[in-house]
Amino acid sequence: MSDTKVHLAARIATADFRQSLSRSLKATASRLASALLVLLVGSLVVFLTIKAAPGDPALSVLGEQASPEAIAAFHKEHGLDRPLAMQYLSWLGGVLTGDFGASLTVAARQPVSALLFAKLPATLFLGFYALFLAVAISLLLGTLAASQRGKLTDTVCTSISVFGISMPDFWLSYVLIYFFGLGLGWFPTYGYVSPGESLVDALYVGFLPALAIAAPMAAVFSRTLRAVLIETMTRPYVTAARAFGLKSGFIFLHYTFRNALVPYLTVIGLQIRYILGGVVVVERIFGVPGVGSLMVDGSFQRDYPVLLACTIVFLAIVLLVNTVTDSICTLLDPRRSR
Amino acid sequence: MNDAFRIHRRDLLGGLGAAAALSAFGYGPRAAMAQTASLRAAITGYGVVNTLDPAKASLIPEFYVIWSLFNGLLKFDDTMKIVPDLAESYRILEGGSIEFKLRAGVTFHDGSPLTADDVKFSLERLLDPATASPNASKVAAVDHVEVIDDLTVVVRTKTPFAPLLTFLTNARTGTQILPRKAFEAMGAEAFARKPVGTGPYKLASWDVGSGLKIEANEAYFGGAPTIKTVEIPLIAEEASGVTALLGNQIDLTSTVPTADVPQLMRNSAVTVFRQLGFNVRYISINLTKPPFNDVHFRRAVSMAFQREAMVQTVLFGEGEPLRGFFPPLLGANHTAAGHSVTGFDPAAAKEELAKSKYGAAEYPVEVLTWGGGWWKRFAEIFVAQVNQVLGTKFSVSVTDSNAAFARQQKGDFTAGVWGWLGMIDPDEYMGDIVHSAGWRNYGKFKNAEVDGLLERARAELDPATRARLYNQAEALAIEEVPIIPCFCSNIHNLLRKNIKGFVQKPYSNFGDQFAHMSIV
Repeated sequence: MSDTKVHLAARIATADFRQSLSRSLKATASRLASALLVLLVGSLVVFLTIKAAPGDPALSVLGEQASPEAIAAFHKEHGLDRPLAMQYLSWLGGVLTGDFGASLTVAARQPVSALLFAKLPATLFLGFYALFLAVAISLLLGTLAASQRGKLTDTVCTSISVFGISMPDFWLSYVLIYFFGLGLGWFPTYGYVSPGESLVDALYVGFLPALAIAAPMAAVFSRTLRAVLIETMTRPYVTAARAFGLKSGFIFLHYTFRNALVPYLTVIGLQIRYILGGVVVVERIFGVPGVGSLMVDGSFQRDYPVLLACTIVFLAIVLLVNTVTDSICTLLDPRRSR
Repeated sequence: MNDAFRIHRRDLLGGLGAAAALSAFGYGPRAAMAQTASLRAAITGYGVVNTLDPAKASLIPEFYVIWSLFNGLLKFDDTMKIVPDLAESYRILEGGSIEFKLRAGVTFHDGSPLTADDVKFSLERLLDPATASPNASKVAAVDHVEVIDDLTVVVRTKTPFAPLLTFLTNARTGTQILPRKAFEAMGAEAFARKPVGTGPYKLASWDVGSGLKIEANEAYFGGAPTIKTVEIPLIAEEASGVTALLGNQIDLTSTVPTADVPQLMRNSAVTVFRQLGFNVRYISINLTKPPFNDVHFRRAVSMAFQREAMVQTVLFGEGEPLRGFFPPLLGANHTAAGHSVTGFDPAAAKEELAKSKYGAAEYPVEVLTWGGGWWKRFAEIFVAQVNQVLGTKFSVSVTDSNAAFARQQKGDFTAGVWGWLGMIDPDEYMGDIVHSAGWRNYGKFKNAEVDGLLERARAELDPATRARLYNQAEALAIEEVPIIPCFCSNIHNLLRKNIKGFVQKPYSNFGDQFAHMSIV
């Protein structure tokens, strides 16, 4: 290769790089902008919904014995007598400066940010624990089912999956409690230990709630994994690799599994939002002091600062997860970056 | 964030199975550890406590805790007799005012002594419109509180007010006594979060939405409690409360889902406390809107369903049908025989419907209810029976309690299930609900004669005469069906067998018992 040619190639490469850099910067910026838009619209929708719902935080705090004067005083004190737009904008203004406001109901106006900081760790722990269980279970069941396709193992694994998908999480929670908690006495039936206190205890006490959340997801994941594994197994390059005499374990890891990972991870990314739904229900049943319980209480009490803050946190988690899944898939499949 | 509601390792030692499982985690030797010295008393069916300031408290879970932190001037003893608490004695003066001699040597949790001035402060604060207390009605008849000396105080009433003694007890009243100095130094908001009372326990920590922890007040005037710390988790799901107790994560619950009661009664590991409670469950109807603005229609509906069947299906037998305004516990005020207009009589119901200006299905009626438990079943069973007997087109509308409540208060409803727990005075069952100025008169019933009788009853200090007045008022009002009384339900507590000393009172008590309980 002559010098000019090298030079030219380098220039093209640099230009290419610049282009791709600016493209990815643009992509990041637009992604960030759309994320902010989602947060804004999401919070507005939730705000309008809770305001449109009949009910009043004053009634939660003052009770049925409250006089109209007491209710009016409560509204004035908390700015609930202002027009809706003002209430929303002043809340938004606070959020932009990092102030989520004070709860209208719980514990005499505690700051919402303090509540969130106190509750978020439990939810994150439970969520990650459930995700880990779902992935572990699905790797096992999905791989087993695909490799033993059509045999008894496959039928058993598939049946477990169908069972998992069909079970509502609240029902499954009580079934787990009755069977493993009360019947066999293996696990506690209620409560929570934070991993900071003792990781072993946290994993032990958190097992049933995490499993209740994980089960429906594990089922979806393993069905997906089974399907894509079976599909990739019949691809020509796998047949070719086999014809070359490569070991089947090697083929599985490097050809089948790696190519199956992209659709598998995409499904995981899409399903993670259901963890958050599961968390709300399961936290309440098992008494896990997390954001899910806070959110339920916030909406029952019409405590919009609490509810909105929880919504923001959940939305942010979903957006973050989507971004992370996308990047992982891009890493695994270079074609995607084009 | 405190750790009060985290499970402690010892709590994990549920049964043999749990111990076996734990040994796998290296906790084997700890399995031999003796019982916990701390009581785990769960408030079940409620997820929130918003305040611990008695003047601001309105939810029953708030009072469950307040009862252990504060005292009233008076209290109910185990037989539901009113006896002195912070007072040493009391005497009713001419005109219905009451003079209290206070116990000497009582101190608040901060060490300051209880004086007559604290009583004046606590009660007059309830009266002050600036406090905007939801419990102001309890002292509405009080004119002012007069300090005679450090330990003598007179509660002066404008007119004789029969419920006053009841309203000054340490029950669901808000008239608990707090220290003026500490309150003024802390401010209302801080006090609501870190209350200072005279009670057998003081607040140790409060983990919002999870629970609270209280510890013994060693200087308590009634003697230091045996149980030194009480953890009070808030378990929003009643069913979770039951499984938590069966799994030995808690020792006591404040409620039990009625459907579980028969099965739990056969379980030898637990004790079920149950008795008929101070409550009334009824169908609240809007008398300003069709079809319930027609008395014949109201009578028809009231006679078109079986209250006994309702008790069986809604409460699984855990209650009694109610055919008047007063629960059976109110003694002479309660009319045991009931009234014909509240009895099941399909023929009479159809006759009344024929007299009504409305046809059976002319106005569809939505019966408001909430949740997924017995309140919802209550509405469903009512609607199904009435539709079957009268051919009406009633339907059930399920929402949450806050919405149902807000709509009733605004008058934005046609019918809804309703009821209260923990009210003790007859005035709260009739004066509040059917007097034209009653604050719970959501249906807007108005009858001058009934009003007159209720006002006389409220001012009548002789219990027997007072009961007769209520009997008359009830007989008069019930014919016009201002509400449709249905039943009175049992109250329940669930305890582990090793917990002793809990005495259940029919207004659904809780925190007031910790001081004389023990763990064996």
